[in-house]
Amino acid sequence: MIGSISFMEFAWLIPFVPLLAFVIVGFFGTKFKGGGGLFAVSCALFAFAMSGLVAYEFFTGSGVPYSPDPIQWLAIGEYTLNFGIYIDGLTCVMLLFSSSISLLIFIYSIGYMSGEGKGKRRYYAEISLFLGGMLGLILSSNYLEMFIFWEIMGVCSYLLIGFWSFKHPDGDEASAAAASAAKKAFLVTRLGDVCFMAGLFVLLWSFKSLDFGVLFDPAEIAGVDGGMILLGILLLFGGVIGKSAQFPLQDWLPDAMAGPTTVSALIHAATMVKAGVYLVARSYPLFVQNADAMLLIAVIGGVTAFIAATMALNNMNIKRVLAYSTISQLGYMIMALGVGGYIIATEMAHGDVSSDGYTAGVFHMMNHAFFKALLFMGAGSVIHAVGTEDMRRMGGLSRKMKITSFTMLIGCLSIAGFPLFSGFWSKDLILEAVMEPSSHSIIFVLLFVLALITAFMTAFYMFRLWFMTFKGRTGDASAHCHGESPKSMTVPLVILSLFAAFSGFFIFLGLNDVITFSVIGGEFFVGGHGHSAAYIMDHIMTNVWTYVSIAISLAGIVLAYMMYARRSIDPAMFNADGKSRIYRFLTARYYFPQLYDQISLKLGYSVAKGVEYVDENLIDGTVNGLSNSVIGTSGSMRKLHSGYVRDYASFMVIGVITIFVVLYILVTSGGV
Amino acid sequence: MVDIMGFIDYVTPLAPHLILIIAALVAPAIGMKSGKATEVFMIIAGVFAMIVTGYLMWTGYVGEFEGLYQFNTFTGLMSLLFLSVFILVAMMSSAEGRKHHGEYFALLAVSTVGMMLVCAAEDMISLFVGLELANITAFALVAFKKNDPRSSEAAVKFLITSGLSTALFLYGMSLVYGFTGSMSINEIIYHMAVTDPSVSYMVAIVVLIAGFAFKISVIPFHAWVPDVYEGAPTPVSTFLAIGSKKMGFVVFFKLFLLLFIAVHFLSQIDDPTAAMRIHELQWVFGMLAAGTMIVGNVVAISQTSIKRMLAYSTIAQSGYLMIVLCVGTEYAMATGLFYMIVHVFMKGGAFIVVAALAARGLGENISDYKGLSKRAPLVAFAMLLFMFALAGIPPLAGFTAKFFLFSSAVTPDGTWIWLVAVAVINSAISLYYYAKVVKTMYVDKGTTSERIRISGSFKLAIAICAIGTIIIGLYPGPVLEICEAAANAYIGGFKEWLFDFHSELFPPIP
Repeated sequence: MIGSISFMEFAWLIPFVPLLAFVIVGFFGTKFKGGGGLFAVSCALFAFAMSGLVAYEFFTGSGVPYSPDPIQWLAIGEYTLNFGIYIDGLTCVMLLFSSSISLLIFIYSIGYMSGEGKGKRRYYAEISLFLGGMLGLILSSNYLEMFIFWEIMGVCSYLLIGFWSFKHPDGDEASAAAASAAKKAFLVTRLGDVCFMAGLFVLLWSFKSLDFGVLFDPAEIAGVDGGMILLGILLLFGGVIGKSAQFPLQDWLPDAMAGPTTVSALIHAATMVKAGVYLVARSYPLFVQNADAMLLIAVIGGVTAFIAATMALNNMNIKRVLAYSTISQLGYMIMALGVGGYIIATEMAHGDVSSDGYTAGVFHMMNHAFFKALLFMGAGSVIHAVGTEDMRRMGGLSRKMKITSFTMLIGCLSIAGFPLFSGFWSKDLILEAVMEPSSHSIIFVLLFVLALITAFMTAFYMFRLWFMTFKGRTGDASAHCHGESPKSMTVPLVILSLFAAFSGFFIFLGLNDVITFSVIGGEFFVGGHGHSAAYIMDHIMTNVWTYVSIAISLAGIVLAYMMYARRSIDPAMFNADGKSRIYRFLTARYYFPQLYDQISLKLGYSVAKGVEYVDENLIDGTVNGLSNSVIGTSGSMRKLHSGYVRDYASFMVIGVITIFVVLYILVTSGGV
Repeated sequence: MVDIMGFIDYVTPLAPHLILIIAALVAPAIGMKSGKATEVFMIIAGVFAMIVTGYLMWTGYVGEFEGLYQFNTFTGLMSLLFLSVFILVAMMSSAEGRKHHGEYFALLAVSTVGMMLVCAAEDMISLFVGLELANITAFALVAFKKNDPRSSEAAVKFLITSGLSTALFLYGMSLVYGFTGSMSINEIIYHMAVTDPSVSYMVAIVVLIAGFAFKISVIPFHAWVPDVYEGAPTPVSTFLAIGSKKMGFVVFFKLFLLLFIAVHFLSQIDDPTAAMRIHELQWVFGMLAAGTMIVGNVVAISQTSIKRMLAYSTIAQSGYLMIVLCVGTEYAMATGLFYMIVHVFMKGGAFIVVAALAARGLGENISDYKGLSKRAPLVAFAMLLFMFALAGIPPLAGFTAKFFLFSSAVTPDGTWIWLVAVAVINSAISLYYYAKVVKTMYVDKGTTSERIRISGSFKLAIAICAIGTIIIGLYPGPVLEICEAAANAYIGGFKEWLFDFHSELFPPIP
């Protein structure tokens, strides 16, 4: 608090101003120069500054979560629905990285989208809404509020991924791809949203409220049936699977690459997919009520991390490789949170509730935000320069694009877990957290092995990307490159590369204490052991697994170097020139797209067709036949000419009799 | 001396109805020159009737007309709803009202009065009169495009299905009269609540359900809906979708919701076993609700005509509303009323967009909407709002309405959780076909980029619906309060009557 002004009282402005930007740019964007880009940027700047002030105030304060009495949105029946804010360490960390990265992406957009013309208004309006949705979600104080912002982001991603559906820079085919990708993203995440909404009703029914203050109160939790809590958290996690692209709903994210690269950066680094991880982190007091559920979450995270990494191994599209890496890293985060929750759930009875898993998951989410934003914007800079996304046509770009190649290198080192870069610290913490409960179950050992293999693959495919793009022979598309991208694009890259390199050190500057979860008035407390920097350092440096993970990531980098820079190992050796079964299996993304199509299109559509057939022929046909026989103008009939008045009457009688029989059976059998 | 004040007091319960009837009689009689003038005249009459209704509600007026019709907060709210439907439909009727505009608007007004009378009816006969007034005028409206065979065909279908529905209703009514000996709705409900379910009792109930199931398009009585909506002039389809159907629901509320409440109430004050008697009936409603949602949503997916798609979506919405009847609480009724109000704006808005574009020569297939966002950006945006609202995307009103409605079924005993699950899954399915329209408008490339400009009254009507969809979504409090007050007034009044009536028949032993 500075003087008597409390910034936290005005925290609602953080999502409100970007939402206002959406309205203003959306309606009056054409009146602004540049389609309202500068206006959107200044609103994002405000959100960032305000987040900084709020975080500063929180961290210098007592550390007690700030949640003023919410505004009562409605009282319906016995339930009250509120709109409020909830600020604790987790909120502040999320606010800071979301708003700062979004701000940089907004600035970068000014350069990247400069050629868009009139579409700019729509673009800036929609990304402002997106940012407002994410910040609102972070600040929410109850699940309904969260769900509303969650859905706003869903709609935004639909509109933004389909942004290039009219005129994609890569031509008509890409436009169609953009359109179908948008629809897929919307529908697949919607599957998760249904679970989320059903979860809302389960929790509402069990707790008579959706406010965090009630749901996280151990006394309240104790009064609710454990089975209902389990159902509630599984349904909430269903929402996470959709939003954060976890197995088996991971497939929409790579397709969502059809949108502008800035949108990908926004979705992958700062917003959207992080919302799912945030939901898990935020719901921890509920989630840790069931150890088995947490184990399931950890396993899903681990499996996602692994299969997404394998799919990235042989992909040729620079953005898709990054998309798979996002899914894989999200899997890491979910796995860390699941493992941490498992430990808490099993040890809660002993009164000792602490785990590194929580810290590791949130810490990795933050680091990932920085390096993934950097990687996407770097990729955007490359695509902007060479006009293609195919890595085979790039190569040798480091000479022409010095800043981009250098900053991308930092991003790759970071995600690969190269010592001292940000990804190293959080990935190491995650690996350690996964090993922690290995005495409980063999599953954790398997997860650890999966995580290690994933780490190796990550290092390999990221450097494969870097070497293919920036080193080696000059590709045919690289020949057209006219040099480095404009300042508005390179400056954010440089800023982000600083974070990507050094954000890991935040853990020594007290971040450990910041990523905490405490409930007002409750006993529940996660994270923040107050370990000193020396203790953490000592802990990491004396652990043998640290060196194993370093060795593994170095091995991945070296292998990529041999294969794609020095070309001393021929990639064809492994894939039989792209003909091997595994290679095709990976290229086909484990046949997940086909599976989705089979289920959603074939099955769904044929069910719809079948019901329609019955409806049209059996029911409609009779009605048509009826009117036909009465009016006598068969010329006006388009449909099947079957059925007469008696058919129709008998059909009605059947309806009446059915209802009667059902009712009669129910009554005479003594009720349901 | 003529007692003018006395006369005014006497007719006050029917004041809004009278205003509209007078306007309906005057309009064709004076024969205004243009359709536009008649339209404006009728809209002014409608707004005036709304103001009177609003004033009566505001003063908390409760009154009766000869024991046949009643005015209270509930009938007031429903009258406001039907009057706004009337005004919206009048606004979009410029094309239909060009020829014979006097008759067209008069029919529309009289049909609206019929619906309002149904809401106010306290007696089976007056209910029947209102119902037929609304129906018979609607036949003429559906057939109003005389030269279009589709319109005539739709009218015949509508006439016959309505005829069947009426016949069933009359039959059920006569049976009910047979074993209750009364025409007053309250007394009938009382007798039904305290009678053990015999076979004839069940026949009466089933026939009554079937009769009105046609009106609210519950499966398996829904088949006429897509054909009639497709064939009728679009404003009339709108009128049927957002008006007539609600009248059917009001009848269901009047007969069955009150029956459930009566049984529940009586079991509390007297007979503890009474509550069991209606449990089965509620289950039947639950099954009908689930079936209606599923058929409506699933068949809507494969529709290519936007009017048929909207028709099936209307069927699905009926399924959602049926939840109110299953749950049978005061709060459920309030959320049902809220849903009805929101439905007027979102479904009405979607139909108005279709009518506005059709008036400019755009086809009524979904594929005709390709590239609409370039040709008519604001109209396309409004349509996007309506589609997302219907699909239940927050923060639009459709989400709020669905959330309230579904949460009303989350009762402490958990009986209807399965129905909530079906409803939630269905609302997810529905997104598929709503998103398809949005995709067609925003994503698909159109064959032409020629601008479409729609006329002023359409613009106004669309704007009203869009603003309603957004505002009620963000700030549902006041509207929900009115709905709660209406449900409270209606059910509370009924319970009071029930208590008195019951004590009179069975005086407590001193």
